[in-house]
Amino acid sequence: MCRRADQEARRGQGTPLTNIAPNRPEEGPPITGSAEDDVDLSVYGPEDWVTFVLFWVLAVIVFLQFYTRYVLNDSLAWTEEIARYLLICVTFAGAAMAVRRNTHIHVEFLYVYLPRRLGFVLSTAVDVLRIVFFAVSTWFAWKVTVIMQFQRMVVIDWPMSYIYGIVFVGFLVMTLRAIQVAIRHWRQGGSELTRVAVEGRHQ
Amino acid sequence: MTTVLLLSFLVLLVLGVPVAIALGGASLLYVALEGNSPLLVVVHRMVGGVDSFPLLAIPFFILAGSLMNTSGITERIYAFALALVGWLKGGLGHVNVVGSVIFAGMSGTAVADAGGLGNIEIKAMRDHGYDAEFAVGITGASSTIGPIIPPSLPLVIYGVMANASIGQLFAAGLLPGLFMAGTLMVMVAWYAHTRGFGSDLIFSWRVFGSAWVEIAFVAATGGAAYLLWSHTELPRLLVFALLVGGAFAVNHVFRLRAYLPLLTPLILIGGMTTGIFTPTEAAIAATAYAMVLGVFVYRTLTWRGLIKVSMETAETTAIILLIVAGASIFGYLITTTRVTDDIASFVLSITAEPWAVLLLVNVFLLIVGCFMETIAAITILVPVLLPLMDKIGVDPVHFGLIMVLNLMIGLLTPPVGLVLYVLARVANISFERATRACLPFLIPLIGTLLLVTYWSDMVLLLPRIFYR
Repeated sequence: MCRRADQEARRGQGTPLTNIAPNRPEEGPPITGSAEDDVDLSVYGPEDWVTFVLFWVLAVIVFLQFYTRYVLNDSLAWTEEIARYLLICVTFAGAAMAVRRNTHIHVEFLYVYLPRRLGFVLSTAVDVLRIVFFAVSTWFAWKVTVIMQFQRMVVIDWPMSYIYGIVFVGFLVMTLRAIQVAIRHWRQGGSELTRVAVEGRHQ
Repeated sequence: MTTVLLLSFLVLLVLGVPVAIALGGASLLYVALEGNSPLLVVVHRMVGGVDSFPLLAIPFFILAGSLMNTSGITERIYAFALALVGWLKGGLGHVNVVGSVIFAGMSGTAVADAGGLGNIEIKAMRDHGYDAEFAVGITGASSTIGPIIPPSLPLVIYGVMANASIGQLFAAGLLPGLFMAGTLMVMVAWYAHTRGFGSDLIFSWRVFGSAWVEIAFVAATGGAAYLLWSHTELPRLLVFALLVGGAFAVNHVFRLRAYLPLLTPLILIGGMTTGIFTPTEAAIAATAYAMVLGVFVYRTLTWRGLIKVSMETAETTAIILLIVAGASIFGYLITTTRVTDDIASFVLSITAEPWAVLLLVNVFLLIVGCFMETIAAITILVPVLLPLMDKIGVDPVHFGLIMVLNLMIGLLTPPVGLVLYVLARVANISFERATRACLPFLIPLIGTLLLVTYWSDMVLLLPRIFYR
């Protein structure tokens, strides 16, 4: 949870701060965006770019729906259904991205009150439980995908297994990334959870 | 058996397992032990929980808010609010509240408000010699207006979970949001009076008038849009072209500073509360509009900036929706096991008076808000509390406002107060100091909460007018 707060704060700090001159109100604050040219794109992994593409395809389709309905007054029938399916894809692909970056929302106040060693034991248990959940879900997502081969979408004649296939891949990547993150935590001797214990507060 | 479901969820949650996984994991365990349905029902339900058209509003409300922050629109709103109320005593405090109200009409989360506008405001207030406590307190309190005034992510999630009309929820939030802003401005005025704050701008008719000129243009545009859309038979493409062309022409000719950004709340709130746009359509329209402003009009949005903002949006969307996915199987299980009915009868056995039940629920939600993130709390608690509200005859739309306002106050309370973390970082003070700074500002917020809880007419007035 504190991770997200960090990001928000940092995002804010990227914005040039506005200074106002008290006695010359007519000039007002300088208006500049945080058009960051120093954005580092190398922090993004392959699943992030997949999510990125899915997200923008989704945006274009939802916009198309809006445009055809309001402006042309004749909405495209397939846009709503495909948009809903793409949202599912963005969710499970993006969830993999969030596993790698370890940004899924969790509750961490318990660790403030725990001794360091116990905290490490429990945070390792959390890492293991996470892997188990993702692995089990991967397996069942695969089973649903197999069943859904014969279920067709409503407007377009495609099998529903396309969607569940992406959910399956999403869970698979989540499992692999969770293992990777768990190994990193083990080597570092702690995770974001135990860091809370060390610092004694959430910041 | 249901004890397994609830207990395993709580244990996983407190251990620090991500909320979405705690919900899904407890459900998996329950279904496995119960043995009545195949385990793949868990994954199937999780996917089904995200398969909803209203949820599509979420990514685009987030994206629109972030684009406004990165393309300098936030600064324009700040400058506008400064011209409008900066000359009052305790000026920047008022600017803070007014800016938040306007930004609330464009963005759906309190954290975006605190991280974007709050950042500018705190810096300016510190530069003008306000103490850090006052700056952080008023910024934190005013950022909680964001999700009360539409658009609002928490209200979208509530609407989806409670099967309530999101349009009505949005209409319901408008008056309480403005009331909150009013109480906060009274609070600022009181501070300014007792502490002898001066004004931050020398009053000049030219500056004050310029703000009103912008408001007049916005109102005129709104009127023109309404007339063209509802009272003429012109083809929609032409109406659309006329409005967009007209707005940009006005902006170009009169060189207005905040006119185009100020149109966003007009389009969003006006369109959604009157039911012209669905929230999803309004969200995509706002996104497209913010991109046009950032890329073509103000030219402050770069490719790399856009990629970064999209990545963050996609990630946040996935984080929120995975919780919704987990909550949909979890909520389904606790509803089918009828444990929610047991909880409702238990509460009603303590007291059956609606006002007392509401008081209990409010206290409970405030405590939950201290420990839990907003979206997670809504998704988990809606299936639990809604049957109870149904039994004492509280409208689901009314309860949505009560719940979200409670959880917004939770953003300002330790140990888990997301807005506090952001502001402590922005103002470079300790978390404890930020907590103490926000404490006095909880009084007007809790006052509003009481009013929202016990005066349902204030909340339901606009939905009744717009959705007869």
